[in-house]
Amino acid sequence: MSSLKMPRPHSLMGQMLLAVAVALMLVQGLGAFLVYRAQREGYEASMLNASAFRLIMETRGPRALSRRHDGPRVPLSGPPPKGYHLEYSTRSPAGPGETRDREAEVGLAKILADQEFPVRDIVVVHRDVGRDRVARRNALDRAANYGLAREEIDRIMRANLLVVGVRTEENGSWIISRVRAPRPENVLLTPVLVQTIIIYIVVMAAVALILRRITRPLAALTRRLERFAATQDVEGQLAPSGPEDMQRLIIAHNAMESRIAALLDEKNVMLGAIGHDLKTPLAALRVRIESVTDDVERGRMAATIEDIVHTLDDILSLARVGRPSDPLERTELSALMFSVIEEYEDMGEPVEVGDTARMALELRPTWIRRALRNLIGNALRYGERARVSLSRAEGRAVILIEDDGPGIPDDAIADMMNPFTRGDPSRNSATGGAGLGLALARAIADQHGGALVLSNRLSASGTVEGLTARLELPLG
Amino acid sequence: MNDISPARILLVDDEAALREPLADYLSRQGFAVTPATSAAEARSKLRDDRPDLVLLDIMMPGEDGLSLCRHFVEAQDIPVIFLTARGEATDRIVGLEIGADDYVVKPFEPRELVARIRSVLRRAARIPAQAPENEAFAFEGWLLDPLKRRLSDAEGATVPISSVEFRLLMAFLEHPRQVLNRDRLLDMVQGREAHLFDRAVDNQVSRLRRKIEVDSRNPQLIQTVWGGGYMLATDVRRVPLDAD
Repeated sequence: MSSLKMPRPHSLMGQMLLAVAVALMLVQGLGAFLVYRAQREGYEASMLNASAFRLIMETRGPRALSRRHDGPRVPLSGPPPKGYHLEYSTRSPAGPGETRDREAEVGLAKILADQEFPVRDIVVVHRDVGRDRVARRNALDRAANYGLAREEIDRIMRANLLVVGVRTEENGSWIISRVRAPRPENVLLTPVLVQTIIIYIVVMAAVALILRRITRPLAALTRRLERFAATQDVEGQLAPSGPEDMQRLIIAHNAMESRIAALLDEKNVMLGAIGHDLKTPLAALRVRIESVTDDVERGRMAATIEDIVHTLDDILSLARVGRPSDPLERTELSALMFSVIEEYEDMGEPVEVGDTARMALELRPTWIRRALRNLIGNALRYGERARVSLSRAEGRAVILIEDDGPGIPDDAIADMMNPFTRGDPSRNSATGGAGLGLALARAIADQHGGALVLSNRLSASGTVEGLTARLELPLG
Repeated sequence: MNDISPARILLVDDEAALREPLADYLSRQGFAVTPATSAAEARSKLRDDRPDLVLLDIMMPGEDGLSLCRHFVEAQDIPVIFLTARGEATDRIVGLEIGADDYVVKPFEPRELVARIRSVLRRAARIPAQAPENEAFAFEGWLLDPLKRRLSDAEGATVPISSVEFRLLMAFLEHPRQVLNRDRLLDMVQGREAHLFDRAVDNQVSRLRRKIEVDSRNPQLIQTVWGGGYMLATDVRRVPLDAD
C-alpha cells in the first residue's frame, strides 16, 4: 500500500475540497447503487411476471387470472419484455452446465401460487437469445419476414432470454415459457454520471468560494505574521476581511502587533536613555583622569573606561539588534572590511589580509562594522593574530576570520554564541569583553539574513591549529 | 595656535558633570572657554561674545543641539563640533548635513577632542567663508558627496572610507591631473586625526587605492609619480547634488 503514493493536499482549501469530494462520491455511489438495484429487481420481476402471464394465459385462457399481480409490470427503463409461445417438452429446459436462478425460481413459484397455478417443479435459466434454439429460430424468421438490418438482428441475438420450465406433476411434460428483454446494462450510467458532474461543479464551486473567503485572509495573515516576526514593523497592517471570525482574528492580531511594537519602541527609548545617562558621566570621568599626573596610572584608568564603554555598547547593541533604526544601504563589502582592519592596523595589531573580491551588498554598515570588529577583536585576543579574507560562495558573501589560538572545544561552540559566555572560564574582565561579542556578531548576521559559524581548524596531524569564524551574508 | 589671543570656545552641555571638568581641561589646554547650560543660554552668550568655535551637546532638554547648530552655522557662520552620546550613523550624518564641522562620540578621549578643535579652527582660518558644498565630484563612474562624506561606485553602492581617506580624496579631486607631493598632501589632509602625523601619506594612499582601484597593485586612478608624489589620472566633473 505504501508504494501507492497519493498526493495528499496539505492546505485547508485542498483538504476541505478533498473531503467534500469524497463524501459526494460516496453519496452518489450509494444513490446509484440503490437505483440500480431497484431497477434490476423491477427488471427481473417484470420478466418473471411476463413468464407467469404467458404460462397462465396460454394454458388456461384469458380469464384465468384470479387477481392482478403485484410489482412493476415494466422495467424502469427500456421496452417491456416480449414473450414467446409456450413449448411442451419432455426434457427440462436447463441444459447441461447451465446455472439455474434459484432466487427467480422461488419468486416465480410465489407468483404462480398467488394465481392458483400449482406447479411441482420450476426451472429458471438465463441465456442469450442467440443460444436458445427456439428463440433463435424465431428471431431469424422475423428477420427474414421484416427484412431486419444486421445490427437489429445482432441486438436481438444478444438480448437476455428468461427461460422458465414448469411441470405440474412428476414425470409430466415440461411447459417452457420464454421471455426476452434487452440487456439492462448501462441504462443508468449516463444520467448518473451527468448528475454527478453537475453536483460536483455546483457543490465544489460553492465550497471553494466559501473557503476562499476564509483562506485568503488566513494566507494574508500568515504572510503578515512572517513579515512582522522578521521586521517588527507596524507598517502595512492588514485590513479586516473575510467571515466575521476571521475579521476578529485580524483585529486581535493587529492590536497585538501594535502592542509588541510599542513595547519594543519603549525598550529602545529606555536603552537610549540608559546609554546617554551612563555615557555622559563616563565622558566626565574620562576628562577628569587627564589631571592624573602618573602616565601609567592614567593609561590604566583610560583602558578601564574604554572597557566599560565597550561593554555598554555591546549591551545596547544586543538589545537593539533585532530592531535597527538605520536603513539598509548598498555598500561595497571589501572596503568596509578594510576600514575595520585598518583600525586594528593603526593600533599595531597583527591583522593579515587574504584574498578579497569587490562585492556590493544591501547591509547596515554600522552593524556589520561592529560584527567584524568583534570577530577580529576576539581572534586577536584569544588567537594571537587574525587572518581575514572575503570570497563569494553560493550566492553569499563569505568573510573568514582565522586565528592561531587554541580553538574552542567542539561541545562548547554552541554555548559561545550565547550572551555572557566566554571560552575560558578563568578569564576575567581585565582581558576585556563580557562575552557579548560573539552573541552580538551572530545576532547581526541574523539581522542581515546571514549566518555566523565557528569551527576549529585542524592541522594534518589532527591537532587544533586555530579557530575559524565564518560570517556569511546574502548577496543581492 | 595663536599665541596672542587664545581661541574662544562656547561649550554647550546641560550636564554639569561633564561641562565643568571639560571646561577646566580645555582652559588648561589654552582655550578661552565659555560654558552654557542650555540652548537659550548659548544664544544669549552668543550675543555678548562671538566665539571661534562651538562645542555642542546633541541631546539637551528644550531646544536640542541640532536646531541650535543650524542657527550657529547659518546665521553666524561659526564652526561647530558635536558631542554625541549616540554612536549611530544617522545622527552623525544629520549633524554633518546641517553644517557641523565634526563630531565626537561620548566618552571621547580629551586629547583627541583638542586635536579636532585645532583642526577645525585651522580649516576655518584658511577658508574664511566656506562656500556651501552642494556639489558632488564625479570621476570614472565614482561619485563623492562632500556633504555626507559618502563615496559611491558606478552601481551606486556606498564604499566606506575613513575621514582621512575622504580628505585625501578631496585633495586629489580638487586638483585632478596635478602632481601632489607628500608634503602638500599632508598639508591638505591633516585634519582631526591626531595620529595622522606619525603615519606616512603613502600608507593612506595605498589604503585609498584598495578601496577605489580595480587592482590596487596596478593602480590606474591614483598614480605614483616617480620622485614627485601622486596624481589623480582622470577628469573630475562637478555635478549638482539632489536635495534628498
